[in-house]
Amino acid sequence: MSGSAVATLDRLGRARRERLRAECAELAELSDVEFGVRLLADTPTHENRAPELLRRWASVATEFGAGLVGEGRDRAPRVVERAGGVEQLLLAKYVSRPVPTVELFTDTLALGEELVDLLGWRESYADGALRAAALAHEEAHLLLHGDVALRRALRERLGHTALRLGRFRITAHVAGADELVAHGYAAASRGLGRSPLLLTAALASAVRALAQD
Amino acid sequence: MGIVILLLMLAGVGLMLTRKLPTAFALVLLGVAIAAVVGAPLTGENSILETVLQEGSIAQAATMIAVLIGSWMGKLMAETGIASTLVRKIVEFGGDRPTVVALGVLVVSALIGTVTGSAPAAMMAGIIGIPAMVAVGVPKTTAAGTILMGIAAGMPFELPIWQFFSTTLDLPVETVRGFMLMLFPFAVVFAVLFVLVETRRKGVEHAWSLAAPAGDRSRKRAKQLGDAPWYALLAPLVPLVLALGFELPIIPSMLAGVLYALVTTTRPRDMNKRLLRTLYGAFDIAAPPIALFVAIGILLSAVTLPGAVEALNPLVTAISPGHPVVFVVVFALLTPLCLYRGPLNVFGLGAGIAGVLISAGIYPAVAVLGLTASYNQVFGVADPTSTQTVWAAQYSGVSPQQVMVRTLPYVWCVALGGLIVTAATQL
Ligand SMILES: [Zn+2]
Repeated sequence: MSGSAVATLDRLGRARRERLRAECAELAELSDVEFGVRLLADTPTHENRAPELLRRWASVATEFGAGLVGEGRDRAPRVVERAGGVEQLLLAKYVSRPVPTVELFTDTLALGEELVDLLGWRESYADGALRAAALAHEEAHLLLHGDVALRRALRERLGHTALRLGRFRITAHVAGADELVAHGYAAASRGLGRSPLLLTAALASAVRALAQD
Repeated sequence: MGIVILLLMLAGVGLMLTRKLPTAFALVLLGVAIAAVVGAPLTGENSILETVLQEGSIAQAATMIAVLIGSWMGKLMAETGIASTLVRKIVEFGGDRPTVVALGVLVVSALIGTVTGSAPAAMMAGIIGIPAMVAVGVPKTTAAGTILMGIAAGMPFELPIWQFFSTTLDLPVETVRGFMLMLFPFAVVFAVLFVLVETRRKGVEHAWSLAAPAGDRSRKRAKQLGDAPWYALLAPLVPLVLALGFELPIIPSMLAGVLYALVTTTRPRDMNKRLLRTLYGAFDIAAPPIALFVAIGILLSAVTLPGAVEALNPLVTAISPGHPVVFVVVFALLTPLCLYRGPLNVFGLGAGIAGVLISAGIYPAVAVLGLTASYNQVFGVADPTSTQTVWAAQYSGVSPQQVMVRTLPYVWCVALGGLIVTAATQL
């Protein structure tokens, strides 16, 4: 797919569009926590973990994120809008250097809005909610990034142990949990009806459909 | 005549650079061509068939076996979960501090690298290490560079490389070990600096991505592995302790490592099967370097033929700097010539040039060791055509050139350090 071509679902043939609808309907059947489980399972270091454990971590991390709503939002990061997100499969990005910046990929966001309309998912994702969610998601990264105590609190809640010697215990980092915290925060603070990860998965299907077309 | 040999070498570099011929084939052709132009007879003493092809092809036999056993142990560490457990532990301990995770992966890469050599180590440490670093926010180029710098930090203790230099430069292993101990601090300091400076300079990065994380497919296979017990994680240290601490020969030290990795992870009834399977699998991994070592042996035998030495001697003497300061400056400036399969690449034409420098009596063999080992530190990390660099870059989703640009300043400093040590102690 070339960067200049506008990624729009109008380009899809009728049959392919119907198939995309069916794929996404299937995704919508899954529970929100299942998407969290999938994200963790795809994160390195969790290859051998039991699905039940991942499920517990996914709900704990998501709730932790939801609980952060209202925590100091005084340091708003710089926001930069970019194109070329569909090509790189990116929706948003947070970079801490040189200054904390949130990059929003406008083409991916536009495709997301179009997709929500196509699928009739407005009830879960209001107009403009995806952009707001993307900002909130990266805001959560900023929150976590700048707060050691918050990160420790998250580890305590997840309750994974890296090392135990008698009463002495070191809590372990759970890779990918920060991602779920950010999604939980975004969903709660922007009042999304479903997890941002459902829309992410649907967007991935849409991009695949456009690439095949 | 010397000029003709140099032109032949230039043509060889051209063939390798333009990918007309794989490096190993080009080196063999070059060896035979050089032997022919200096008038070596077809058979008999110092001949093309007997000296260059027959004796040359097995000259690096000890290196080849060391490489094979290293790959064997690598296969074993991958199959038994030793490598993946090491990386997982690091993420668990350091996870919300990206710099700590990167430093941990650096150490693991160094450890694995000492045993298996560069390319297998990059894959073993990187398959989990790279996506794990990216997951905790380390930017992609930094993640790829960390794996490579880690391997380079362990390179002075890479046992197959000791064997290679010992055979190639005809030096006792103790001498090689002695120089490597002096090179090691430079390699470590700049590897750690790379992580500290680059993570600080580039910060962290989190992407809301539509893609499944990198390397998804290769990790599916790791799914069947359990955790290796903590004492099994010491496996990569075993050969090192034996060869460095107890000064045992290289091949038995490495075999001991294979056995240690086996008995700490495998039930007795599965041992035979696993040992044989991983050994056979190791031949696949070791095939490219072994082919290269056959070719290097052939090229070395050709450039050290009496006729070749006689022809090259005046030329090399004229252009080789004698003064220690000039030596450091000139060879430091020439460092990029070891990149892109250039003429100073030690695992290519550079081995031939090293042979010429020694047989022409221009520098003591230890000084040539210093020169080539210093270049090896650069080539092993920053060469965008070397297997480990290409793999680490592509797996991280960046280009090998980006990795080269990011790492070259650091490894250039390592080489400079090695050259200064060489000039100060050997010239
Ligand atoms: Zn994120």
